[in-house]
Amino acid sequence: MDFEKAKKRFLPMSETMFYILLSLKDEERHGYGIMLHVRDVTGGRISLGAGTVYQSLSKLQGDGLIRAAGEEDRKKRYAITGLGGWILKAEAARIAELYLNSEELR
Amino acid sequence: MKDKKAVWMSAFTNVVPAEYEKWMEEMEAQGWHVDKIGQWSSIRMVFRRGEPRKYRYVYDMQAFPQKDYVSTYQSFGWEFVGRMASSFLWRKPYEKERPEAFTDAENLEKRGKRFAGAASVSMVLFWAALAVILIVLLARAGSLRFDDRLNLGILLVFMAFLAGGMTYVVRKIYKNRKE
Repeated sequence: MDFEKAKKRFLPMSETMFYILLSLKDEERHGYGIMLHVRDVTGGRISLGAGTVYQSLSKLQGDGLIRAAGEEDRKKRYAITGLGGWILKAEAARIAELYLNSEELR
Repeated sequence: MKDKKAVWMSAFTNVVPAEYEKWMEEMEAQGWHVDKIGQWSSIRMVFRRGEPRKYRYVYDMQAFPQKDYVSTYQSFGWEFVGRMASSFLWRKPYEKERPEAFTDAENLEKRGKRFAGAASVSMVLFWAALAVILIVLLARAGSLRFDDRLNLGILLVFMAFLAGGMTYVVRKIYKNRKE
């Protein structure tokens, strides 16, 4: 999938998708590891469920935003791809704009 | 008091995934446990008497589960109860908050849509089979005696009733896809 097509398909991104992709930015992780990381960075606010994680990873992998990066104890590890990285940055830029434009409301 | 109880057609009386989960949880709360489910459990499911337990059940349909489907659920602490065709059943004990496998609206709806899609396909196949039977019967109706025509009429009413029932069930599943 090319960047423009992926942008149309993934942006704006749900919070769940954003955090899953973000958790793979610097480190390869498996599903449970992603849940732990997301729980950690959101101060416990978001605790992803198994079905949500599995379905999201399948979708991200199917569209080439992440890839399988090996296995440990039958658990598949995932890594972000170049395309996934660009989409994450594009989403971060969109959120930054949202933040700027909503600041006057505070 | 009996130690075992068989429930017939449970999947046909609790057609929506969320309803099915609740029903299994109520059985647990009343102390009826299921050890394992299999291909025929939607027709007949056997429960064993035990202590009342607080369990969360999750129904998930996966026609082509990937290699890490089962291990993902298991690593999140879900116990694999079994599968009926492509329907997987998971459970987890809990105390306070009822755990969820689908924690966002988007993925919960996807689960519901998958099931509604599968139910729709079954419905269309069922209708097609009925239509074939109907065509064959009507083509021969001209040469039938009165008694046989009456029987044919009864059969047609019965088939219409089945088709109507099936449509009602699929509509109900579709309406509840976000639950």
